[in-house]
Amino acid sequence: MTAGLKTNLPVFIVVIPMFVAFMLPTFARRIKWIEGTVAAVKLLGLAAAAWLAHMVLYEKDFPVKYIMGGWPAPWGIELVIGNLAALFILTIAIVSLPVALFARDNLEKEVGPKQRIARFYVLYLLLIGALAGMAITNDLFNVFVLVEVVTLSCCGLVSSRKGHGAAKAAFNYLILATLGSALVLGGIGFIYILTGHLNMEFASAELGRVWQSSPHTVWMALSFLFVGFGVKAALFPLHVWLPDAHSMAPSPASALLSGLAIKGYIISFMKILYVIFGHTLMQEYGIYRILILIGMVAIIIGSLSALLQKRLKRRLAFSTVAQVGYLFLGLGLANKEGLMGTLLYLVSHAVIKSLLFLAAGAVISATGKENIRDLAGVGRKMPIAMGTFTIASLSLIGLPLLSGFIGKWHLVLGSLGAGDILSVTVIIIGSILCAAYLLPIIRIAYFEPAPEADWQDPGLPQKAALILLAAGVVLLGVLPGPFIELAGRAAAELLLIQ
Amino acid sequence: MKDYILKRIVAVILPFMCMYGFYVILHGASSPGGSFAGGIIVALSFIVFSTIYGLDEGRRILPESVLVWTESFGTLWYGLLGLIGIFKGVPFLANLLAGFKPGTPGSLFSGGLIPLLTLGVGIRVASTMVTLFFTIKEE
Repeated sequence: MTAGLKTNLPVFIVVIPMFVAFMLPTFARRIKWIEGTVAAVKLLGLAAAAWLAHMVLYEKDFPVKYIMGGWPAPWGIELVIGNLAALFILTIAIVSLPVALFARDNLEKEVGPKQRIARFYVLYLLLIGALAGMAITNDLFNVFVLVEVVTLSCCGLVSSRKGHGAAKAAFNYLILATLGSALVLGGIGFIYILTGHLNMEFASAELGRVWQSSPHTVWMALSFLFVGFGVKAALFPLHVWLPDAHSMAPSPASALLSGLAIKGYIISFMKILYVIFGHTLMQEYGIYRILILIGMVAIIIGSLSALLQKRLKRRLAFSTVAQVGYLFLGLGLANKEGLMGTLLYLVSHAVIKSLLFLAAGAVISATGKENIRDLAGVGRKMPIAMGTFTIASLSLIGLPLLSGFIGKWHLVLGSLGAGDILSVTVIIIGSILCAAYLLPIIRIAYFEPAPEADWQDPGLPQKAALILLAAGVVLLGVLPGPFIELAGRAAAELLLIQ
Repeated sequence: MKDYILKRIVAVILPFMCMYGFYVILHGASSPGGSFAGGIIVALSFIVFSTIYGLDEGRRILPESVLVWTESFGTLWYGLLGLIGIFKGVPFLANLLAGFKPGTPGSLFSGGLIPLLTLGVGIRVASTMVTLFFTIKEE
């Protein structure tokens, strides 16, 4: 029994959330059952992810390849359970459980009647399952299908909020994301035409042989994939959909979108770049330089535009644009420390940004005010929401002993290792700008007199969710051991492949 | 609609349309077509019915609860068939490895697991299409 469970664990992690998602509409009237089922699935997911990470860390026979349906590699679909997959699946589990807890009482206010809440949970589980699939699949077409599942469920999550603004934002997002999907599909098509393989390792080996005979096609594939995933991951000039979509969505959905969905695309892009194209080709086509430059521009412009925002959730959304810049910058550094930095920053930003969005959502739904200026004195009336918000802000700025520091530290080490002083400077300026747009919120919340109003902390499940995530932020900063180990091994693997 | 001829013709054609849809679904393994095309044809029979006889009549023969159940059940059916492989100790969605018979090529029950899978997908596609039609028509 345990042996069967252990060998099939990767399939279960992907498939169980998806199938439970499809079963949920049948008992849409009993919202308590749905909440219970979702919580149970998430708890199981957390246990499975922890088990998987433990096995990957401490057992000799990993990474393992799982062959779907028993059809071997070039024909069938492979799942690879390695360090990268274990790291990302663990992140998904850590973030999504508190989000599910938070959603319990929040959704009635933001989403509406029971039918719509049931649909919200369906999309939530689909998103989680598809993201886990993106982390472990080793098949290019599978990547495209999962990208589509994630995109469509994200659009659904954005539009699930009451009111017209959300529908409009979701429509904008849908149009741009569809464009991105088309580009991704085109890029995958070019790779398939060139190599005749959809399996990543076979495609990579074949690409190494044929790229010199048709360099332009490789260039097309690379640029299509770059722009496609750039749109999806909201890389700087292509980020226009993100601020609307992420600030209009219901708070639990914003937390998921900003925290996890974007990271899924970045993980896929990372696998495509490093596993399929590999170091030689990326050097040849100058991708590293582009990644670093675009990352730096994204950090500066994203932070500056966040500074200009007057609404709380929009400021957080623009902050995500800036943080995506860090992740792409790390991808372009092409050394172990840089990649480790990207992975660790990805994990910590997932936890931090979901905490920020949840805390902001709690504050906004208690006070009914969206502008930062109106939140005077909210810190003393809602100690838990604002306290966790403060922890997350300090961590995002990169103070030591909190999780953001570790990612930024490795990014700086990576830039120094690559001899790139400019990107070190940009990372540090980015941190200062981050402090400049987050600390005023905290100052207004704590040090300005509060009006006479009955603002209270949210209910118990929501408090628990906030505290769990805050504990995650602190724990990742104080005891990052397993995560650093996993990220380090994943980075070494990605760089070793050629 | 009050058109007597149209109603009579639809009443005669309807079972055949439905049956042809299931024919395409079940032969998806061995001939062109498959679960998506067949599911659309099955859905089309209900869509034609509720266009001619009115939406209320369509809702009466296919209430929303039935649609939700078939939609979920189609997917669950797929998942359960996938689990058979795991219970037999081979990978998820294994076909011949899990002991399904290949059958004679070209006949209805050839391809082991595939006709069963396409049945699940076909039912799901059909109910999704009908749901979409009803939703759009109502708004």
